[in-house]
Amino acid sequence: MVETWYAIVSFMLVMFVVLDGLDMGAGMLSYLVGKTDAERRMVVAAIGPLWSWHEVWLVGFGGTLLVAFPNILAVTFSGFYLALFLLLWALVGRGVSIEVSGRIEDSLWRTGWDFAFVASNILLAILVGAALGNVVRGVPLSSDGKFTVPFFTNFSPHGQVGILDWYTVSVAVFTLVTFAAHGANALVLKTEGPVHERSLRLARFLWKAVILLLAVITVETWQVRSELFSGMIHQPFAWLGLILVFGGLAAVLAGLPGKQEALAVVGSCAFIAGLMIAGAAAVFPIMLHSTLAPEDSLSAYQNAAAGHGLAIALVWWPVALIFSVVYFLFIYKHYTGKVKLSEDTQSPY
Amino acid sequence: MEETLFWSRLQFAFTLTYHYLFPQLTMGLAWILVFLKWRHLRAGDERYGDAARFWARIFGINFAVGVVTGIPMEFQFGTNWAAFSKFSGNIIGQTLAMEGMFAFFLESAMVGAMVWGEKRLGPRNHFLATLGVAFGSWLSGYFILVTNAFMQHPAGYSVAADGTLRLESFSRFLLNPWVLVMFLHNQCAAVVTGSFVVAAVGAFYALRGTHQKQASLFLKIGTVTGLCASLLVAFPTGDQQAKMVAKHQPVTLAGMEGHFHTSTGVELNIIGQPDMDQQRLDNVIYVPDALSFLAFGHLNASVQGLDAFPKDAWPTNIALLYYAFHIMAGLGTLFILLMVLANFQRWRGRLEQSRGLLWALMLAFPFPYIATTAGWMTAELGRQPWLVYNLFRTSQGVSDVLNGGNVLFTLIGFVGLYFVLGVLYLFMIGREIGHGPQGISLAGQLEVFHG
Repeated sequence: MVETWYAIVSFMLVMFVVLDGLDMGAGMLSYLVGKTDAERRMVVAAIGPLWSWHEVWLVGFGGTLLVAFPNILAVTFSGFYLALFLLLWALVGRGVSIEVSGRIEDSLWRTGWDFAFVASNILLAILVGAALGNVVRGVPLSSDGKFTVPFFTNFSPHGQVGILDWYTVSVAVFTLVTFAAHGANALVLKTEGPVHERSLRLARFLWKAVILLLAVITVETWQVRSELFSGMIHQPFAWLGLILVFGGLAAVLAGLPGKQEALAVVGSCAFIAGLMIAGAAAVFPIMLHSTLAPEDSLSAYQNAAAGHGLAIALVWWPVALIFSVVYFLFIYKHYTGKVKLSEDTQSPY
Repeated sequence: MEETLFWSRLQFAFTLTYHYLFPQLTMGLAWILVFLKWRHLRAGDERYGDAARFWARIFGINFAVGVVTGIPMEFQFGTNWAAFSKFSGNIIGQTLAMEGMFAFFLESAMVGAMVWGEKRLGPRNHFLATLGVAFGSWLSGYFILVTNAFMQHPAGYSVAADGTLRLESFSRFLLNPWVLVMFLHNQCAAVVTGSFVVAAVGAFYALRGTHQKQASLFLKIGTVTGLCASLLVAFPTGDQQAKMVAKHQPVTLAGMEGHFHTSTGVELNIIGQPDMDQQRLDNVIYVPDALSFLAFGHLNASVQGLDAFPKDAWPTNIALLYYAFHIMAGLGTLFILLMVLANFQRWRGRLEQSRGLLWALMLAFPFPYIATTAGWMTAELGRQPWLVYNLFRTSQGVSDVLNGGNVLFTLIGFVGLYFVLGVLYLFMIGREIGHGPQGISLAGQLEVFHG
């Protein structure tokens, strides 16, 4: 039961990062691929109809974490207090800028909101990356099973750490570049004309950077927590993750030059999902690693909710998931193919 | 610790009150939109199509603000109320997750298509998307209210060896008698908000003499649904809600009514100010025996006063609780009067000439927001000092790793951000209303960017 719920909670988070990472990535490239206002509208329209559906995976992640591992949620969310509010506020800025930027045809209005859109997406990608880096590196959990963490201390990933150190900053940069590459793939798929051409050029460049940074991150992770790599050997899910990572990368590299645009998007989804699955499998069963004393780490087994609440939730969760996919398909089938400005943009008066 | 508790309560109250300004309009407008789309689909009358597009645009702005202000609510359970999350997460997490998985996924998938995708989807699927949004928004409300009902009147749980709560019966938790009443009461109130807003926009156009066909349509829809919903929110749902409080939270009823001393044949106080030092109401205007009758069904029933309970079980802010309840109930009564009058004049065919009444309808729209806010203050202040009624005190629930300054900092951040968001919202909605429902026909959505 604990393993199943760990997998479900991880799945929710993976879905959020893959789907919203696509929105963040496409959004942050708005000014690079869109030189005119109409081109930037195209970027917003490419993620427009489903951005809130993507964000709901974060709500689902919070909810399932609360059901299955209430103490983990309590310790983590209160420990990352300020950083989490920064994330929430950036989500407010991003959501609002998507909804209002197109409604008024005025160059100052558009420029202002497009800037807010790009800035909030960059900030979100960095925050999500730093958060994932913190989960892998660990937090300064003390023996009472709680922690608070400042934004930074001495930038060392050991002992009394801060949210930002050289390792988590590296993960944040890697996430930023990976989301950008992921978003560029999506824009290649969803747009045509100059935006499409620029996105394709950017994607080719960004994926080279992703591969380079992946090598750097792997070496760094080895430095910070080498035990994760030996643990991965015994985790079948870690193998699955690695297959997805390399399969996804191959799909991207084959899809981009070969004009198989959908394959490239599937590839970048698989790449990100694979990295997260491998990471989640590698840290299991430890959900929060203590950088102060490994024995104070919080394990999934000790922190799972007991009783048959989890068995009940295991009945409704797959049902809800199927419904959600049906809703998605109902909408998505109308939105396949390229963005059409005349149909998909928010019309001002 | 004291400060962390105080600021955390204020932050939750502020962010939740602000958030709920938006979903109540979403839920209220949703079925009105379904009706408009259905008429458009069946009769092919473009008047309904234009009206639906107009309200969908307003819905879209409203929904976006609702989403972005709603997500921080779920996270605050963990950030500010970590001890509460640990205590009850296995139970309240169920409904918070189900809200996301069953309801919010539906709503969020459909809403973009409903607002912008009429041409992509075609008439039939666009109607289905609108229906999906309406159903999703009400389902979402249900799951959130189950969560709140558990805090008001816990059901279907057991206490585990480590002191935390375990879910025992899923059906008793989901079908808590408290939630059935509260859901109907709350949803009727949301429809009151929606219909008052529709009527206000209709009155605005009627007074200005613009968009006249739409004005009479909005006035008709707004006043008919407004009358039905205003009646239903008071009776039977409000009445049942009060009886539920009388039965399960008698000390709350005493606080709501400013009823300090146990007695029989208790009056219903219409106006008066609680005097906490003297433990009585000042300047009371009352209806004799009415509280006994309303709460327990006969005129001589004994109603427990605050003196029947130990002081540490009293709601922590009785004066505010009293005012909140009376503002809600008083406004609810005025809504019925206004809507009866408006419907009477409309029935005589004189509503659009009654400028005084149109002014009243136009200016009335903020009051349902005040009434729902006061209603929720009654529910939540009335629940104090408990976070989960009779099981877990509010003071036990707060995160102990926080200091008050951090919480005050984020609270100020929310106040600033939400102020900007509010100005933006009013500006955008004002613009939509200023433009009006004409000229956003399907053809109007075309060719804007091709210059």
